[in-house]
Amino acid sequence: MLKALLYVDPGSGSYLVQMIIAAILGGLFFFKNIWWKIKAFFTRNKQHPTTKEKE
Amino acid sequence: MPTYQQHPSSFRDPSGFVFQSAGKLYRQINPSYQSDYELLMGSGLYQQLVDQRMLIPHEEIGDSQVGQPGKFKTILPEFIPFISYPYEWCFEELQDAALVTLNIMKASIDHGMILKDATPYNIQFISGTPVHIDTLSFEKYNESKPWIAYRQFCETFLYPLVVSKYSLMEAHRLFHAYPEGMPAKSAAAMLPTKARFNLGNWLHIFLPASVAPGEKNEKVSFNRNKLTRIIDHLHQIIGSLEPPSNKNSVWKNYYDKDILSEQYLSNKESIVGKMINVEGKNVLDLGSNQGVFSKLLASRQNNVVAVDNDAFSISVLYRQVKKEALNILPLCIDVSNPPGNGGFMNGERKSFTERKKFDLCIALALVHHLCIGKNIPLSNLADLFTKMCSELIIEFVPKEDEKVQQLLKSREDIFEAYNQQAFETAFSQQFSIQEKQEVPGSRRVIYKMKLTG
Repeated sequence: MLKALLYVDPGSGSYLVQMIIAAILGGLFFFKNIWWKIKAFFTRNKQHPTTKEKE
Repeated sequence: MPTYQQHPSSFRDPSGFVFQSAGKLYRQINPSYQSDYELLMGSGLYQQLVDQRMLIPHEEIGDSQVGQPGKFKTILPEFIPFISYPYEWCFEELQDAALVTLNIMKASIDHGMILKDATPYNIQFISGTPVHIDTLSFEKYNESKPWIAYRQFCETFLYPLVVSKYSLMEAHRLFHAYPEGMPAKSAAAMLPTKARFNLGNWLHIFLPASVAPGEKNEKVSFNRNKLTRIIDHLHQIIGSLEPPSNKNSVWKNYYDKDILSEQYLSNKESIVGKMINVEGKNVLDLGSNQGVFSKLLASRQNNVVAVDNDAFSISVLYRQVKKEALNILPLCIDVSNPPGNGGFMNGERKSFTERKKFDLCIALALVHHLCIGKNIPLSNLADLFTKMCSELIIEFVPKEDEKVQQLLKSREDIFEAYNQQAFETAFSQQFSIQEKQEVPGSRRVIYKMKLTG
């Protein structure tokens, strides 16, 4: 196992990390979106800037 | 005999290399890079990046020109007056270099390309603007793959910045220890516990530090959305990093309170202003502090390199240079221990003293710091200037001066040979003194000298 670690490509390893990070960031984005929708539902007149942009 | 000489720093990338011919720096592009180069030029990415001053412009050189046989193309990039390295940059310079790298990455993704490497050594400053200088860093984007340069970006930009922020270690000093970037494990070890309670730090530093690198996983599934999210996240983290407040800078109030008097400074400005008769030249301001005299030199269309050991002063100057687009390159360098030759065979990066011969160097209120503060004899100091410039404006601060007395307070006076006569004798070996003028209200003398022979 250790032997293999000494000979890895400098770019590898970060692939796995990037997948985890992207998944977590994606999850956060998803929940943030839901939160904004709930907020928008209760405040109604105030829309989130990202939804404004789309219009 | 070849008419070209390959640049000693240019051998790592098989896509091409930089070579010198007749005093100009060219870049040869090898046939293996042809399709990527055509995509860079044809997709509009090159034009957009050049228009936004993010990528160095170049012109293509016709076939009859220099270059190795079997080349695809030769290009002549715009000339950069002075090359600098991240171990000479202040926090904000490294931060801006990181942000421009991410902005280039974003623009590249929009044009179906990515950066195959992401290091501060690909960035140079031109009038306060960080510009990417490696035209061969772009390659076709494969949406199913994560970013090949992610780890390099983190090790050379993110980790030094974050560690500097939390530890108050100056970013440029971290590069002396880790010239090719800081491993995640080292960065994590240097951070305090409170740094763990930050999502950005946790994701990009502590997580990679705990995940052992495995063999290349070919089965990874990635997409453009995921990549964009990571790039945006890095941009947000780095963009919001506050530079470490440098409370312990000795030089913070130099011009506000500490300097002898306002009268002294204005007298000095008018004397030096009259002595400077260069325009459009390469000028070095050694011991620039916050750059009062660098700005004077830049106002006369000179390319100014401003050097000081105090990172705080360099940060202050850089912010102003950036705001007003001044032609000044502020660098954190200790004149008594400047960066040496670096990289493979010590050939990739030139030492500070050998990088350029300047047309003019100014060294004001510096001599006593080197001679009394660092025990450097006057003749050795004269050798430094002989090596670095052909004209010199230098201030001699005598022993009776209040500031020298302060330096001597805490130590034994072993400097019998430090006096004006000895100063003139030491410098007259290589220079001819053309003008000398005492600054009214002090016993300091400003000299203008020219290198002889």
